[in-house]
Amino acid sequence: MSYFKRNDPTLGTLSHSDRELLIKMNRQGVSRRDVLTMLMGAGATLAASNALYSGVAHAAENTPKMGGRLIMAADQHGPNDTLDPALFTSAADYFRGRMFYGSLTRLTDSLGYEPELAEEVLSNDDATVWTFKLRKGVEFHDGKSFTADDVLYTMNRHMGADSVSNASSLVTMIDRWEKVNDHEVRAVLSSPNADLPIALGTFHFKIVQDGTTDFQTAVGTGPYSVKEFKPGVRAIGARFDNYWGEGGYLDELEHYGIGDSVARLNAFLAGNVDAMVNLPPKAISQVEGVDGKEIWSLQSGAYVNIAPRLDMEQSSNMHLWKAMQMLQDRQRLVKGVMKGQGSLGNDQPINAAYFDHCADIPQRDLDPDKAKWHWDKSGLGSTAVPVTAAEVAPGAVEQCLFMQREGKKIGANFDVKKVTTDGYWGSVWLKDPICVASWNMRPTANIMMTLAFEGNAAWNETRWNNDNFNQLLVDVRGETNADARKQKYCDLQTMIHEENGMSLPMHRNYVDAVGSHVKGLTHVPLNNFGGAESPVTLWRDDA
Amino acid sequence: MTSLILRRLGIGLITVLAVSIIIFFGTKILPGDAAQIRLGQEATEANVAALRERLGLDQPVYMQYLSWLMNFASGDLGTSLSSDVPITNLISDRYQNTIIVSTLTALIGVPISLMLGIMAAMYPGSVYDRILTFISVSLVAAPEFFTATLLVLIFVFALGVGNAVVVGSADGKGFFELLAHFALPITTLSFVIASQLIRMSRAAVLNVMNSPYIEMAILKGVPRKRIIFRHALLNAIGPIVNVVALNLAYLVTGVIVVEIYFGYPGLATLIVQGVQTRDFVLIQGLGMIFCMTYVVLMLVADIAAFVSNPRLRHPK
Repeated sequence: MSYFKRNDPTLGTLSHSDRELLIKMNRQGVSRRDVLTMLMGAGATLAASNALYSGVAHAAENTPKMGGRLIMAADQHGPNDTLDPALFTSAADYFRGRMFYGSLTRLTDSLGYEPELAEEVLSNDDATVWTFKLRKGVEFHDGKSFTADDVLYTMNRHMGADSVSNASSLVTMIDRWEKVNDHEVRAVLSSPNADLPIALGTFHFKIVQDGTTDFQTAVGTGPYSVKEFKPGVRAIGARFDNYWGEGGYLDELEHYGIGDSVARLNAFLAGNVDAMVNLPPKAISQVEGVDGKEIWSLQSGAYVNIAPRLDMEQSSNMHLWKAMQMLQDRQRLVKGVMKGQGSLGNDQPINAAYFDHCADIPQRDLDPDKAKWHWDKSGLGSTAVPVTAAEVAPGAVEQCLFMQREGKKIGANFDVKKVTTDGYWGSVWLKDPICVASWNMRPTANIMMTLAFEGNAAWNETRWNNDNFNQLLVDVRGETNADARKQKYCDLQTMIHEENGMSLPMHRNYVDAVGSHVKGLTHVPLNNFGGAESPVTLWRDDA
Repeated sequence: MTSLILRRLGIGLITVLAVSIIIFFGTKILPGDAAQIRLGQEATEANVAALRERLGLDQPVYMQYLSWLMNFASGDLGTSLSSDVPITNLISDRYQNTIIVSTLTALIGVPISLMLGIMAAMYPGSVYDRILTFISVSLVAAPEFFTATLLVLIFVFALGVGNAVVVGSADGKGFFELLAHFALPITTLSFVIASQLIRMSRAAVLNVMNSPYIEMAILKGVPRKRIIFRHALLNAIGPIVNVVALNLAYLVTGVIVVEIYFGYPGLATLIVQGVQTRDFVLIQGLGMIFCMTYVVLMLVADIAAFVSNPRLRHPK
């Protein structure tokens, strides 16, 4: 629940850091008391705090209005658009998934979860058996009732070695799914996982009907049913009258793909569409200057990085990658490239957007002196160091160019080779000795680190393999003591920060733009359009 | 005449077959296959292999070619590798858009440009001719996105008419509604084809005007208008129809910049997306449709040339 807007005038009375903190607290749904305590701690009087709070709480009392139609403009889209949740790959897929389907749990803005199709989620003490009590009276769009069989069918599509699911790695610790009765299922795990309900709230675990093999349309339990779906063109959802919960306020919700960012911006500014994803950083001030148009920004853990392979001759040189980390002009990247819509990276993936972020690791900054020391130690002299870059995300190429320029000053010679993004993930990434990558945020620190930093992970970019790290990463999943958990996560992040070898100069926000008449925005920091969670809650103020 | 047309048809068929081979094997050269690209950054060896098998990518290449060609001949374009949707579904909406835009552009752009070009040829060297030449040469030099940007700035942002992006379906719209729906793309494309058509029709007519029989007509005292429309134009039709056909083919296959700029789904964008997702089935299907469009349009142009020019019908 969001109580106030980023540009609320009363917020102007606070210092920048307090304002950011307040916005973050607000986004995470903290209580009135927390907000008041924080405000008074920051020096505001009780009266002022109260005024600020009630002023902003007023916004939350706006009851959603029914009716109307919204057009949301997506970017990436194409003939590979799909309605099969297991095969989702793009933000557009995720958004459509939320329109048409439901899931067992729903992610909150603070990356916790609340029950959705599961009414109650229970686990045993060591988090190895999870029980989901399913909601009764939920209907699919074709009128069939939702039961345990649908959950079992859905979940089993993500299981096993031959699964084509894009998210099977999130549930590898599940040994089997069991049906207890028609309204209760149980997951039996081979190793503990306290975060399972969060993983099951992510994009790919949307519940499909038992036995579905044809995904040309979507028969789900979501607030909208498919009125039209044309891959690469548009999807139109019509309100599903028998939706079991709150939400689905619009008569119709259209999701329309406009690949080109200039065309998308034109369409948004001209009012042809109501919201657009991925506002180019250059256009931020332009949108802010227009009445009735707002920025919809989410601080996230998404990042760009440069990964050297530690199993290759040149790039395994520790002094080389240490020098690369010291050569990153992080401030400038965030300000210059992202226009402030990002945050400093600290050469480890878990930033403040994650629940388990460790704030104790000192921030690494541009340090030419240390970089020079490392460079001299590396013995590379003027040997060219090839770096492969592609425009996979804003800043991906710039981070290399900035590093190249800073490198020149200390005598380092980076040979930045820019390649096309087409085919990049298949033929360059994980193959070239030093190359860039772009990562989306994952719902938990553990999932992120398991996917890309665990020694045997398929996407372990640097091939860094540290037994202590691998062991700790598994241990912490069963850790129930909060302090011990925090310490373990700090250790994990410190290890990556010190030893992994990649440079991670910048986390980027998800920056979308939206008309002021669009309400019910969500702020789950996992993807565009509010973490693709917004379809349920969107409504039109002028409907 | 009939045998000539039949021969042209035969050549067309061979062209289509040759192109089918090039298209099919050409798409195989692209790095990364559909399974890999579809899974993207998220790909692991195991799920790539599983998907590859499901899509039939583990069969020998020549078997894939033969079964594809047979299916194509029977009108089955296959199923998209990247989304499991029949190709015909992917194409239908876009084909409609493309056909509407190119037809409307042709209906408006072609007659106007031909008239302008022929009028320029009537009075070569006149002020009118010079102005027209200046404008059409400038238009040739202006890229589509520049013309499009200019039109959007003027019409949408300054005058407040028209749509910056074509959002919404063309279904159920009448002729004038369609014109309004696609107004800016049609205008942009008309400018693009007009420049070439004006130049070519002017040149073709002027070329004929230099021949001895026209000189004869002038000496006989035939009025200039009559010379152009009765004597010269028939002989200039061959080259003009050729240029028109090429431009029409371009309107069907090559208007990617305009499609992307105005954000409406059309065939040209689809084939680029097909390449990006390594959706070979889609690329092949579209490639064949484009190839056949060219072949048919060129066939029509040739037949028009035969009809208008007896010398072509009776080669020595």
